[in-house]
Amino acid sequence: MVGPTASLSNLHRADGSASYKCPATGFAVLGAVNGPVELPARRDALKPEEATVEVFVKPGNAVPGVGEKYVEGILRDVLSTVILRREKGLPRRGVVITLAIVGGEATERGDSYLTLLPALLHAAQLALISAAIPLPMTLATTLLGVTRSGEIIRDPSPAVAKAATSLHAISFSSKGHLLMNESLGRFDFDTWELVRQQAATICRGAATPGSDGDAAMGGTDNAHVDGFVRETVEDHLHRDYNWKLESI
Amino acid sequence: MSTPLILLPGDEVPKDQLPHSKSNNPLKVGPGLRLLSQPSAKPTSSNHVLTATQAGILTTDAKRNNVSILSFSNRRYIPAMNDLVIAQVHHSSVDFFHCIVTPHTAHALLGQLSPQLKQGDLVYARVLSVGVGAGAEVEITCVHPATGKAEPGGMGPLNGGMMFDISTGMATRLLRASSSSADENEGVDGLVVLSELGKKLESIGGFELAVGRNGKVWVDCSNAGENEVKATIAIGQCLQGTDEHNLNPTDQKKLVTRTLKAMKL
Amino acid sequence: MTSPATAAPSVPPSLSLPPSQFARLQPHAYLLAHLSPPPAMNQPSVRANGRAASQFRVTSANAGSLTHTNGSAVVRIGDTAAVCGVRAELLHTEDIASWSVSQSSSATNQSNEAGGQGTDAENEVDRAQIEDLNLLVPNLSLSTGCAPGFIPSAPPSALAQSLSHQILSLLHSTRLVKADDLRVWYQPPNLEHIENEMDVDGGSENRHPREIKAFWVLYIDIMIISLAGNAFDAAWASVLAALRDTKLPKAWWDVDNETILCSEDINEAHKLSLRGMPIASSFCVFEADAAAGWRAVVIPDAEEQNAEKQKKKGPQSRWILADPDGYEEGLTMEKACVVVDKENGKTVILKMEKLGGWTIDTEDLRQLVDISAQRWDEMKQILG
Repeated sequence: MVGPTASLSNLHRADGSASYKCPATGFAVLGAVNGPVELPARRDALKPEEATVEVFVKPGNAVPGVGEKYVEGILRDVLSTVILRREKGLPRRGVVITLAIVGGEATERGDSYLTLLPALLHAAQLALISAAIPLPMTLATTLLGVTRSGEIIRDPSPAVAKAATSLHAISFSSKGHLLMNESLGRFDFDTWELVRQQAATICRGAATPGSDGDAAMGGTDNAHVDGFVRETVEDHLHRDYNWKLESI
Repeated sequence: MSTPLILLPGDEVPKDQLPHSKSNNPLKVGPGLRLLSQPSAKPTSSNHVLTATQAGILTTDAKRNNVSILSFSNRRYIPAMNDLVIAQVHHSSVDFFHCIVTPHTAHALLGQLSPQLKQGDLVYARVLSVGVGAGAEVEITCVHPATGKAEPGGMGPLNGGMMFDISTGMATRLLRASSSSADENEGVDGLVVLSELGKKLESIGGFELAVGRNGKVWVDCSNAGENEVKATIAIGQCLQGTDEHNLNPTDQKKLVTRTLKAMKL
Repeated sequence: MTSPATAAPSVPPSLSLPPSQFARLQPHAYLLAHLSPPPAMNQPSVRANGRAASQFRVTSANAGSLTHTNGSAVVRIGDTAAVCGVRAELLHTEDIASWSVSQSSSATNQSNEAGGQGTDAENEVDRAQIEDLNLLVPNLSLSTGCAPGFIPSAPPSALAQSLSHQILSLLHSTRLVKADDLRVWYQPPNLEHIENEMDVDGGSENRHPREIKAFWVLYIDIMIISLAGNAFDAAWASVLAALRDTKLPKAWWDVDNETILCSEDINEAHKLSLRGMPIASSFCVFEADAAAGWRAVVIPDAEEQNAEKQKKKGPQSRWILADPDGYEEGLTMEKACVVVDKENGKTVILKMEKLGGWTIDTEDLRQLVDISAQRWDEMKQILG
């Protein structure tokens, strides 16, 4: 399977940016983060002690609609938990995350956006890292489909996803918490538990506790998503601090 | 230091990476790291851990006994006390000039003690206070708050010249390079572009430079006569080029030579 | 110095606050005090609204209250009330631009029809017709004054938009409405014995298959007339109840007028045959230590967190609250939503959502599914 690709800080005007492409599902997302910025005084920015996280999703081929509002809500809830919104400089300010869907199948009216969630979350997370927004941990997301025969398929293509009996988008934090679960279709709890276990393996590597980290430097086929995020960031930092690392 | 240690948000700083100082000075924790208290599960072990909140390279300074994270160089500038910044006057009110320090943030206030300024003027100033609480605004000044005299180091309006945008990481490097005596070949932080430019441009009258931590650099070559504009742009291009492509010292020298040649200087 | 307090106030200024003011000033502490009363008080842990953690509010449903709709329902969950009206309108197939193209697929449908139901192709046609032709159009509005902050003539809020989308998405993914209920068929009379001589191709039985002349489009309008938390459960329950109530008039293609006629006779109208009865249950997580993000405390690893939970040491640090009211929703970040159905007594999960925090794990979700299954029984009674 061809792994996903990502690059950081592609945009010059934004504080942080990242692009993410998953060849298996075909989705590509370009994310930009600005923050901490001053927000106009607003009623819904209710909590004065922490930063407001705003997410905007722009579909590639249409104006944003009702569906984007829905997925923006999901992303805001998930990303808010992985931003230290009370760190210095953040309270009363905003972190604005803009995600443009630049590749992949167009979403239809009433679509669950489930298939897009991993690409959106990864682009957002990498852009947050690139903007040096303080985070308590990183997250890794995967999409799994269960076919009629009960087979669990990782990163199903849009056609497979449509035919699947259930679809699951699952996020884990780098500390092993189940951060997000979005499941749709027809399934029972035991099926979900199998899916969750497989998702944990995909996101965090083999289920040997405490052995994550620099384990997946090889970039092999079975590299887990956590490792992929780490590698992408390390690659970029090596390039950024070229001048420093060479002189050492 | 052998291979640099790269941390991601949530990673703990290994204990053996911390500087071991014999002095009693407490360890200073720089940006990108925070000290967390572990819920006291095991009272025997140390119940404090240092955790990264940003992705970056762990750097330690045994002399000053501090540890910090070198994060992405293009991040947004967050005002901190005593930072030198280049601000642009946006408008003035009775008591203050309202200045722009970074885009999309509240205006910084500049006390009227300062000289008369008009809209669009650039000011080299020091951050006086960052303010806390509701509606807090950053206050900057270019005079010493106690004496009312202009601070040393070229504080005040920046007349003529030109301002270039650079990354905040580059601005920090430039400030460090100008504050400490550089060793000739390596430079400070691997930055030789300034000394190289200084050598090459000495003949036409040298140049003036002001670096704002908010990712701005102001260049003036008013001594250069007819070459003023050319030299200013050349300096700006060299700085931005070094920043954008993360050039090492050798490449920086090459860039300076190439740019000056292209500008016929 | 000299206070003219001749008419002394009868009540000295009290240092204690009435509960209602305490609830407004310190909402978090107020709810926490209810959930974890001091051991000396010997009181059970209840929510500020008097419910137990997994208790839903009193729910009532009333179907068919709006007479001018094809189906309607009012569902009330506590102080949250949703009205749903279903209006059916005809969509002529000749008005569908891509109809002649997509008809090739409906031809396969007919060949399969004899072979009973449930084939893949038929399912696919069913799905495609409902989704691609937009036969279900839900729209949710939060009416002015349903809660403080909803002002007249404001554009649809992000909440209303995302609820509309959630309902549509769930209607599609549960495939609640069958496309066949929405089809208006026409069976051309068999005139072969007359036309036989004129026909060059040589007639066959399939020459005049019955064809779809129109679809019913269901406009499902939901209005939240009072919002006190958990809008989704109420909105979805009202949609479900309204669809169960919906009757479509008998409609047929009139060849002479080349139009569709509907029967006025209520006895000829048919009800929708829905696929199952999916019931939504929402939950939120109240954390004792709301300031956890403020105080610099290590976020425990998932394993540590689990270990701690199993040991059950220390006071309970979080509560999963079923059917949160508006007050509780404002105090919580983490939420979960489970949609279940029961088929022959077996629980089927149709949607499971969890986001906004890191405390709910697998075991919690298993419990939530069980609670949702109980809620299903409860709602079955209520919806009748």
